[in-house]
Amino acid sequence: MARAKSSHPRAAVVGGFRTPFMRAGTDFAQLDVLDLARAVTVELLQRFALEPNEVDHVIYGNVTRPVHYSNLARELVLAAGLPRATPAYTVTLACASACQAITDATNLIERGYADVVIAGGVEMLSNVPISLSPPLARALVGASQAKSVGGKLGSLRGLSLADLPPVAPSITETSTGLSMGQSAELMAKKNGIKREDQDGWALASHRKAAAAWDDGRLAEEVTPVYVANNGGRAVTRDNHVRRDTSLEKLSALKPVFDRNYGTVTAGNSSPLTDGAASVLLMSTDKAKALGLQPKALVKSYAYSAVDPADELLIGPAYAIPKALDRAGLAMSSIDIVEMHEAFAAQVLSTLQKLESQTFAQQELGRSEAVGRLDPDRINLRGGSIALGHPFGATGARCVTTLANEMARQSAQYGLVSVCAAGGVGAAIVLERP
Amino acid sequence: MTLAVASSVRFEAPDHEGVGRIVIDRPDDEINAINLDLVEALGGAIRSARAYPDMRGLVVASAKPGQFVAGADLKMVDQAPTAADVEHASRRFQAVCDELAWLPCTTVAAIGGPALGGGLELALACDFRVAADAPSVSLGQPEVNLGILPAGGGTQRLPRLVGLERALDLILSGRRLNARRARRAGLVDEVVHPQVLAQAAHAWAKKPKRPLQRPLHLAPNLAAATDLAEHTPLGRQLMYRQARASVLARTHGHYPAPLKALEAVEIGLEKGMAAGLEAESHAFGELAQTDTTRNLIWLFMATQHQKRLGKRDARAVKRMAVVGAGFMGAAIAEVGAVAGLPVRVRDVKPEAVAKGLARIRRMVDGAVARRRFTPYEGRDILQRVSGTTDYTGFATTDLVIEAVFEDLAVKHKVIAELEAVLPDQAVIASNTSALPIREIASQARHKDRVVGMHFFSPAERMPLLEVVKPAAASDEAVATAVSLGVKMGKTVIVVADTPGFYTSRVLGVMMNEAALLLDEGAQVQDVDRALTDFGFPVGPFVLFDEVGLVVAQHVGETVSAAFGDRLPVSTVVPELVEAGQTGKAQGAGFYIWPKASRLPRPLPQPKRKVNPKVARRAMTRRAFSAEEIQDRLVLLFVNEAMRCLEEGVLQSPTDGDLGAVLGLGFPPFRGGPFHYADALGAGGLRDRLRRLADEHGPRYTPADRLRPGEPFFPR
Repeated sequence: MARAKSSHPRAAVVGGFRTPFMRAGTDFAQLDVLDLARAVTVELLQRFALEPNEVDHVIYGNVTRPVHYSNLARELVLAAGLPRATPAYTVTLACASACQAITDATNLIERGYADVVIAGGVEMLSNVPISLSPPLARALVGASQAKSVGGKLGSLRGLSLADLPPVAPSITETSTGLSMGQSAELMAKKNGIKREDQDGWALASHRKAAAAWDDGRLAEEVTPVYVANNGGRAVTRDNHVRRDTSLEKLSALKPVFDRNYGTVTAGNSSPLTDGAASVLLMSTDKAKALGLQPKALVKSYAYSAVDPADELLIGPAYAIPKALDRAGLAMSSIDIVEMHEAFAAQVLSTLQKLESQTFAQQELGRSEAVGRLDPDRINLRGGSIALGHPFGATGARCVTTLANEMARQSAQYGLVSVCAAGGVGAAIVLERP
Repeated sequence: MTLAVASSVRFEAPDHEGVGRIVIDRPDDEINAINLDLVEALGGAIRSARAYPDMRGLVVASAKPGQFVAGADLKMVDQAPTAADVEHASRRFQAVCDELAWLPCTTVAAIGGPALGGGLELALACDFRVAADAPSVSLGQPEVNLGILPAGGGTQRLPRLVGLERALDLILSGRRLNARRARRAGLVDEVVHPQVLAQAAHAWAKKPKRPLQRPLHLAPNLAAATDLAEHTPLGRQLMYRQARASVLARTHGHYPAPLKALEAVEIGLEKGMAAGLEAESHAFGELAQTDTTRNLIWLFMATQHQKRLGKRDARAVKRMAVVGAGFMGAAIAEVGAVAGLPVRVRDVKPEAVAKGLARIRRMVDGAVARRRFTPYEGRDILQRVSGTTDYTGFATTDLVIEAVFEDLAVKHKVIAELEAVLPDQAVIASNTSALPIREIASQARHKDRVVGMHFFSPAERMPLLEVVKPAAASDEAVATAVSLGVKMGKTVIVVADTPGFYTSRVLGVMMNEAALLLDEGAQVQDVDRALTDFGFPVGPFVLFDEVGLVVAQHVGETVSAAFGDRLPVSTVVPELVEAGQTGKAQGAGFYIWPKASRLPRPLPQPKRKVNPKVARRAMTRRAFSAEEIQDRLVLLFVNEAMRCLEEGVLQSPTDGDLGAVLGLGFPPFRGGPFHYADALGAGGLRDRLRRLADEHGPRYTPADRLRPGEPFFPR
């Protein structure tokens, strides 16, 4: 047994970086999605003084992908000065895309198929691909294939004025027609999550983020982006963190998704955000050979999915116990947690379920509740509500921050959880090497 | 058939489809440069082709992949004893091209590489031209850049093929076109993948011959209107006149070749091709014998030779970094990225880094707009550059160029910071125009790896790099810097680590002298005009204002501190600096610069206005003749250059001439200070310098190296 154990490579998180996270339509509006991915990945290579030809694989998450980058990860390889022979692929798992990239990287390393993998994700919501309505798109494709002028005109017949406006990608569930926010509103009502608790959670998120900027903990994981348009601008800090917010200010905001009886506001939700994050994963042996000190090892992970019509963003309540079981750990062993905050209502609903014995018995088939998580151990550098939420990048941001906090506190075990569209949940357990 | 025919040009009899081939393959030259042997061999091959009256088509190609005929063998021009010999060579080539043109079958040039000068003329003598879509393919008539003109029918066939306006542009500018642009210009009939070049040429060879007269295109646009104008004598006269005026504006009458080329084009179009060919080869013989042409050809060959420097001891530079993202740092980073290297750019503040990266982007975008790069190449170049405010990434760097503020304390700090992060073998190069490298390196732990790399502004365009070798530097470090410079496309000279090195020293001495002339009562514009008349692109006072008086003062102080005993220093520069009038950027220096003219691309400027502060200084105004000013300034420049040679600052007169021409704007047609000294003659020059020394002091005392009978470049 001992032999088998030592011959199995372990995947280590050597470290990660992210760009500043900027509200969509602000400082990154002139950039391309690849610019952000490239900026952070080049910095990752430079800051770890990693020879580009050491990289075996690149896996990158992205959700609203431009049509001309059918494989964004591969474009990243070409743009970031990595050897052109580096294979790469792009993953999409909504807000958990980067989690998928990181756990895929873990698989490659644990199987011994790769020693060094860059995994991460990027989102550019300033510049989403706008598409044509299906009838118009069909008509145009038909016209381009038709041989005669008559045929070309024929394919355009039957179009109505309503087919002409372009369509922006939406964050609406196709199975229910509900937007993310409406789903969060539904969860708040169903679970009885109070408005003041949601606002309180949001306030804490901003306060923790501001404190982490002030004491340099965020600066250690955020690399500047230099926007070379016009005269040149350096973007060095997140622009959504509100250090001056208060419960009064938050409670004054109108609910967005149910104006009369709702509780979900712009203040207790994560904003549309541009940003990228990259994580460097290696086999422990390779890290040792390169003289790099891993911050954490990947212990286990799990994905779950629920009926989107039910509680769309509750996935982590299922994924977390699964990942803990796979790690052979109880919730009480977890020292620090990075939980993606799509909405405060979603976070509070998840925590509620994890503490609930009824939920454990009815949904998970276990006698005891999964366990209570102390809010003071969650999102120590602020969460998505304060920092922002670039869909493709958030998972990598969470893993980076968790690994950094674990290293700083010498914490033994840490947990990342991310909820995603389609009712998906992701959970990753890290441990100190 | 002679042996030469067998070895450098081969005729292949027509295949079953009636297409024969003439294959050029000079065994002793990789670019098939044209010499008399090749011309005769071509003639022989064409005569062989005549033996097949039924032949349908004939393809002219190079046997060497990626080549065609890259031009005339310059030795043929350079070493011909008399004008008549050169003229004869031209006539022989013309005759061979004529024979090719008059073959009854269809002729096609298959252009797989550079077709320049005589190479293009050979292709023009064919009915059709097919070019490979490869980066090595370029077409043009660059002769005027060497002081000569197309003399194998180029001035005749080119306008007949592509029209007068376009032909004049190509012939008078020496511009080269890649395959696609040549296609657009009508110079090439089809552009194909290199793999199917032979196949495409074969297909064209089966078509009927091209009609003799270019068809007139009638269309409601400017191109067609120009075309129509070219068909009228009056329209053509207008074009000749415009072309002549623009050549004169550009050359100040120093370069006769473009005017002769224009003349040959005109004679050919107005009096017929025979007269044109006659004019062409006569002018060729005449021009080839001039000093201008000899100097330009020498410069060209010396520059080519210099590209092979530095390879031996050099360490490979796989990644470089630049410290300082200012004007110079950004330009150096751009040059490195263009050369294919990943470049890390460091400055202290994030805003400074962003500004530097934006500068780099503007340079690359500009080069894309000028079609120097495709948009894809431009993107690739930009992606090689990354910025930082710390020294992350420097641990994997092979060479760092520091381009921080010219202050010893700042430089010491940077060197110390660099040594803390760089691998031990990495080279540290200082981009300074005057500070001694040994002082910059005085506190370095590894002094052997600190060298100077003096770039010239704007570094992305200036072709010279002065590598400074302090005594403590290792040969490896110097060779690494040299070979990086060569990789960046620069002409590199290696100089010793003395104050001002070579270029800043000779220029500083000359500019100081210009300032002294003001004190003696000379006028600013007179001094500038005398030097532009001599052939410098700008006069010393415009240069002062463009460089900026603060930098000029700094260089002046460094040089005068070292050679002050023989160099009296004028006070005019410090006075202007004191008054805050430090040059063009500030709106005033020696001249007043109105805001509009400070733009990066100034419009043709009306008369410059001298700063009244400067004009008032001259108490006793005295008229200086242009010759007097030129003697005072240029001879001092030449004398200082010779001192640099005898003191070992320069390794050779060649380096001295290249440095002066490529870095300081010394008139190329004069070949540089050492060629100029040879042209004046050692005896005469020494006498003139002695007279100047008697009158103005020991700075004019002739250098010892100036000895009659020992020219710098023995012929």
